[in-house]
Amino acid sequence: MANTVVKINNLVKRYGELIALDHFSLDIKEGEVFGLLGPNGSGKTTTINCLLSLLAFDKGDIEVFGKEMTPTAYDIKKEIGVIMQNVAVYDELTVSENIDYFCGLYITDKEERRKCVEDAIKFVGLEDFRKFYPKKLSGGLLRRLNIACGIAHKPKLIILDEPTVAVDPQSRNNILEGIQELNKQGATIIYTSHYMEEVEQICTRIAIMDKGRKIAEGTKDELKRMIRNTETVNIEILNVSEDIIREISNLPHVYQADHDGEKLTVYCSGGKHNLIRILDVLQKHDMAFGRVYSELPTLNDVFLEITGKALRDKED
Amino acid sequence: MFFHDLKYMLLSGFRIKSFLFWLMLFPILLGTLFKVAFGNVYENDVLFRSIPTAVVETSDNAVFRQVIDSLEEADEPLLAVEYTDEDNAMQLLKEGKVSGIIYVGDKLSLSVTEQKMDQVILKTFVEQYGVNEKIIKDTAEKDPSKIQAVVDKLSEDVSACKDIPMTHGDPDIYVQYFYNLIAMVAMYGSVTGLHITVQNQANLSALGARKNCSPTPKSVSMLADLAGSYIMQSACMILCVTFTHFVLKIDFGDRLPLVYVAAILGGILGVSFGFFFGSVNRFSFEAKIGIVMAVSMFSCFLSGLMMGQMKGIIAEHIPWLNKINPATVVADSLFSLNMYSDYSRFISRIITMLIITAVCTAAGIIVTRRKKYADL
Repeated sequence: MANTVVKINNLVKRYGELIALDHFSLDIKEGEVFGLLGPNGSGKTTTINCLLSLLAFDKGDIEVFGKEMTPTAYDIKKEIGVIMQNVAVYDELTVSENIDYFCGLYITDKEERRKCVEDAIKFVGLEDFRKFYPKKLSGGLLRRLNIACGIAHKPKLIILDEPTVAVDPQSRNNILEGIQELNKQGATIIYTSHYMEEVEQICTRIAIMDKGRKIAEGTKDELKRMIRNTETVNIEILNVSEDIIREISNLPHVYQADHDGEKLTVYCSGGKHNLIRILDVLQKHDMAFGRVYSELPTLNDVFLEITGKALRDKED
Repeated sequence: MFFHDLKYMLLSGFRIKSFLFWLMLFPILLGTLFKVAFGNVYENDVLFRSIPTAVVETSDNAVFRQVIDSLEEADEPLLAVEYTDEDNAMQLLKEGKVSGIIYVGDKLSLSVTEQKMDQVILKTFVEQYGVNEKIIKDTAEKDPSKIQAVVDKLSEDVSACKDIPMTHGDPDIYVQYFYNLIAMVAMYGSVTGLHITVQNQANLSALGARKNCSPTPKSVSMLADLAGSYIMQSACMILCVTFTHFVLKIDFGDRLPLVYVAAILGGILGVSFGFFFGSVNRFSFEAKIGIVMAVSMFSCFLSGLMMGQMKGIIAEHIPWLNKINPATVVADSLFSLNMYSDYSRFISRIITMLIITAVCTAAGIIVTRRKKYADL
């Protein structure tokens, strides 16, 4: 069984009357890509800041690599790489100087550091931008530099706090592929995001947070099995009568059907051939329809069913 | 890790354009402006120049010639005399090339077209000459044997005051503005000091958060940044003093190495001052910058940067403030170095600077060395 890398037990953090973390617990194993998913303000960054001993908390324990995490736990900090939500680089240092500077806070040996810096530059694909100052880099390249500064010292535990905010799709894919590569190389990853697609794509285990509490935890399949919805069928169709909607609602495995005037959405729970049965009903009533597509449940559906609201409701 | 941090602190610091402007270029521009603005005032109103005077001799007067010759032998002669005829003298007076015309006949007479300082001095000279001439003539008539004694007596510089030189420097207010300028550059170091706080505090910047996550102890990082800031600020102070003294030709006296020492210590004080102010409050970065700049400039105002008499006003009403106001202490150390032949006042100011620096640095470190933040 894999070793526990991070253990958070019963963490409570208050800002006056506001409870930012409400008895939050977590257990992350070695080699995992662990996702912390939740809307803005759910407590993801607060968890990370407490984990890194930047933020004082009111109650609870945090252990990293089996030792208590404290601000002076330098032997633990040496093994952690952090990529914060906000880009943290020096505007007056070039790409390679920035990476060398931050790497030097972890590695004193110059030769070893030089190799690490070179590897980091290649890893994030900034070979052609070594002498560039951050202000000359695009948003995506700047994020890559931010990542390089956090991982150059080859940490065993890498914490990424929303690293893809305001990043173009191509750079986002590069970043996500890079994270998976780091995991393949042996690093344990903690990844926070409010983008469920990203978390679904790269995380082996996920904790969903809301209002400082962990509302669900498991692999993406385990999470999806927690909810009733197994398939959502969408049909572009106009003027569907109430009788037809009722008939569809009464089909086996269908537990809800809605029509918004342009699209019929049918929610199914289990069963096979749900789409065929629904289309049979429409053909029987001689209804013309347009595009038809079926969706498997997403983490947003999980969040929606557990909290009664969509994950993206609170997006910026 | 200390030297690694120091190296990059210097590398990034010297590349900050605003730093280069405000701490290196701006003092040079302001110093040049002072030189241009106050230089004219100084030369017109403070610096003594010989009074250009035309002399028209209507009859021979050997005594007068002898007096003029003796006056011209002085280091700073009272009169710059041009012997000429009346027409030319009138022309020179009309063109403003001379301040007055002295007619030498049986008696001296003076012709002027204005009533300024030069004309008043000429008038006094002519009257004094007339009085002395009469005394000598009367003596010659009554007791010629005493003429030499009378001449010797008249030649004596009689004064009711005894001149005791306490200084070997230049006491004018004009140089004081340049002391204040150097003090201002020193106080600008407070912004550099503030940056140290910001870049090491996780609750003030992303850089601070990243550095706090590293295994480099915060104290090492902060001390390296402080050392870097001291070096940067010292470079600025050296540049400022060098430019002021060697390019603008401002006379700081004959103890220039100590002027550099005082300026460098002043710069270090400025950095520590900013470090302290950045550390002791919980305002945002922008608010901190505003507070530090306002406090620094107010300190400079009280030292007399904007108003030369301010230091005197403070000395009269709140004398203790001049002893702890950083800008005044820096400016006064330079002033005392130039003005007093002994070092007691200079040493006193240097000690004050060191105490303020130590207190600000220690207080800043104590406050910022806290390990965790209540909020980020």
